[in-house]
Amino acid sequence: MLQHVYLIPLIPLAASLLILLGAKEDPRSPMPFLGIAATGWCLLQSIAIFYGAATGELSLPYGADWNWFSFGATAGGKPFLYDMPVGVLIDGSAAVMLVVVTLVSFLVQVYSLSYMRGDPRFKRYYAYLSFFTASMLGLVVSSNLLVTFSCWELVGFSSYLLIGFWFERPEPPYAAKKAFITTKLGDLGLYLALMLIFCQVGSFQIPQIREFVARGFMPAAVATAIGLGILCGAAGKSAQFPLFIWLPDAMEGPTPVSALIHAATMVAAGIYLVAKCYFIFAISPVAMETVAWIGAITALLAATMAVVSYDIKRVLAFSTVSQLGFMMCALGSWGFSAGLFHLTTHAAFKALLFLCAGSVIHAVHTNDMRQMGNLDKKMPITFFATLVGTFAIAGIPGFSGFFSKDMILERVFEHDPRLFVILAISACLTAFYMFRLVFMTFLGQERDLDRYLHAHESPWPMTVPLFVLMALAAFSGWLLDRGEIFTRLVNFQALPGIAPAHEAAHAPAYLTWYVTAFVFFAIYLAFRLYGGSNFREAESIKRRCAPVFNLLERRYYLDDIFLALVGLSDRAARLAFWIDSEVVDRFFVDGWGLLMLALARLCHLFDDNLIDRSVDATGGLSVSLGGTLRWIVRRGLVQEYLLWSAAVMSVLTLLTLPAQRYCLGASVGLGLLAILTLLLVRRPR
Amino acid sequence: MSLGHYLLLGAGLFVIGLFGALTRRNVIGILMSIELMFNAANINLAACNSYLHPAGVAGMTLAIFVITVAAAEVVVGLALVLAVYRNSATAYVEDFSLLKG
Repeated sequence: MLQHVYLIPLIPLAASLLILLGAKEDPRSPMPFLGIAATGWCLLQSIAIFYGAATGELSLPYGADWNWFSFGATAGGKPFLYDMPVGVLIDGSAAVMLVVVTLVSFLVQVYSLSYMRGDPRFKRYYAYLSFFTASMLGLVVSSNLLVTFSCWELVGFSSYLLIGFWFERPEPPYAAKKAFITTKLGDLGLYLALMLIFCQVGSFQIPQIREFVARGFMPAAVATAIGLGILCGAAGKSAQFPLFIWLPDAMEGPTPVSALIHAATMVAAGIYLVAKCYFIFAISPVAMETVAWIGAITALLAATMAVVSYDIKRVLAFSTVSQLGFMMCALGSWGFSAGLFHLTTHAAFKALLFLCAGSVIHAVHTNDMRQMGNLDKKMPITFFATLVGTFAIAGIPGFSGFFSKDMILERVFEHDPRLFVILAISACLTAFYMFRLVFMTFLGQERDLDRYLHAHESPWPMTVPLFVLMALAAFSGWLLDRGEIFTRLVNFQALPGIAPAHEAAHAPAYLTWYVTAFVFFAIYLAFRLYGGSNFREAESIKRRCAPVFNLLERRYYLDDIFLALVGLSDRAARLAFWIDSEVVDRFFVDGWGLLMLALARLCHLFDDNLIDRSVDATGGLSVSLGGTLRWIVRRGLVQEYLLWSAAVMSVLTLLTLPAQRYCLGASVGLGLLAILTLLLVRRPR
Repeated sequence: MSLGHYLLLGAGLFVIGLFGALTRRNVIGILMSIELMFNAANINLAACNSYLHPAGVAGMTLAIFVITVAAAEVVVGLALVLAVYRNSATAYVEDFSLLKG
């Protein structure tokens, strides 16, 4: 089964091309089922691989490489032949990611059957989804970092396409551009990191890089630079501080897309990449600490912003950013499996929450939670699913999020208690804003009667995925934690001689329950503030702390800072343009031109007055000479012409004669000529 | 008989021809005078060949060519004269000034 694992990304790619090129656009097109079938096949394969790996039937990691191309180069004066293979590398984390990606993609495609029904670009939507799935799977399975990077960019590209899917409206194209450009900013760092890796190792193959690092050939300073570069890319893709500004706007895309790309899979790619290159981070404490702190800051900032948002999808988007911060922080605190565990469970419950949000939006046609309320009776399945997802993300004991978040908090506490405090606060905020969302959306009184009356439970293609994800959100944590399956499967094999920094403190067992108690307090608080039909208390708090709320609603002014930066670069560009047009162009280009013009004028003068005049003079001479000659033969008599010719010939012939005969010849000739002329002239006309 | 005599004969013939060509008013006469000049040249060619280069035939060959070309030239010339005569009913050369620039 593993020898055909390369088909997993290729089949969705083929499906996407077939869907895109093989059928006409039609809202009732059957082509989406092709995409669903392709993803379904990949899902089965991935589950088989995961199951085999979990039971120990398959030995991971599995790697297979094929020759792509070779190229020669000289390094240090010696010629080298570099091989660039392309291949697959399946280790525990890749097996988990495969299941996550294919499962969420499959469910989202089923869900979209109903959600996107009747959309004028129904077929294209599925082509994009399949294309995204293919790129994401390629990113997961590739053993070559260059291919991974290509897929990484393709993933960003499909995200761009899907965010801007409804390009008739003004916001989606803007959001798509913002997402694309912001992530590109991060990719710059990643690109430099890849260059640095190739300079150091001479290969993009992960096993070779790992071997290189394990033997201690890579200096810590270089590892730091590479690690920070990778982190830069990951911060763009996984929406970490300060590059997370694109993710809330990315919610302009269709909601299933948000569930697939901006909650479960693509944004996890950054985390996954850091995990894939974890051995580089392992030898650089600086990079590791940076990862941890960036993660923690992101977790806290995003959680606070989620508290004040009224847009149901934006709350979830901020929540995603926050949870990604948790994962990043876990990775930075040597919690390799904890981070990936949270990635897995988060994919399930966040996809669930997004699909629930999609279901709600589908029913009431608004994103604004202030216009919802009291939907629990109208949409019982959605309500129940949201509740399960919320329990999971808030970390209610027994649900999946509890296990992973617990693992992270424990890990982080052992690493650095300061980080732990930040994450614990973020966890409480998570519980608060998620229950706020539930209370505002489903409980209390209806606030907009029209929307309330219009609301209905969604059809089965939308509810079935909810059930599947509900089960996963509820039980996956427990299942994967049981007997430490996940930790056994996804574990960072420490490099020889490099052990994680030893921590003084060991997490006490009651820690979990402390945090849980605070979480429950946060839920109670959410109930007090948002449980009723009006939010008088919440509003009064908001009024009293207006500056704080303003800060949060403006997203810490990060958007403005970025816009200011853009404006600054704009101004710099304008300055450069001014210098170019006013200085370079005017003085150097135009000045050179003017100089040339003056020189040309001079040449022209010379040409006109000297050369042309002499040419004209020659011509004029010929003309006047011709005129004179013509006067001689003006009568137009043929014999006159002949006479002159004979005369000239005679004279010329005389000139060639030797000197002593010259006089004789001349006299004879001239006499003859005179006779002839007389003959001619005396003849009457 | 030396080469000089032949050349003198040729020169005399040429001068007679030239005189005729310059003085005759009739075009036919001019053509005939031109023939005389051709033949003067031919005499020179044949004489030079047999005196200066007895083994070769180049001069005689050239003379034969000249005779051929002269015949062709006369044909063309007479045809022109006929054409002109048909148009202007005259064979006097001083009336042929149509192409005067």
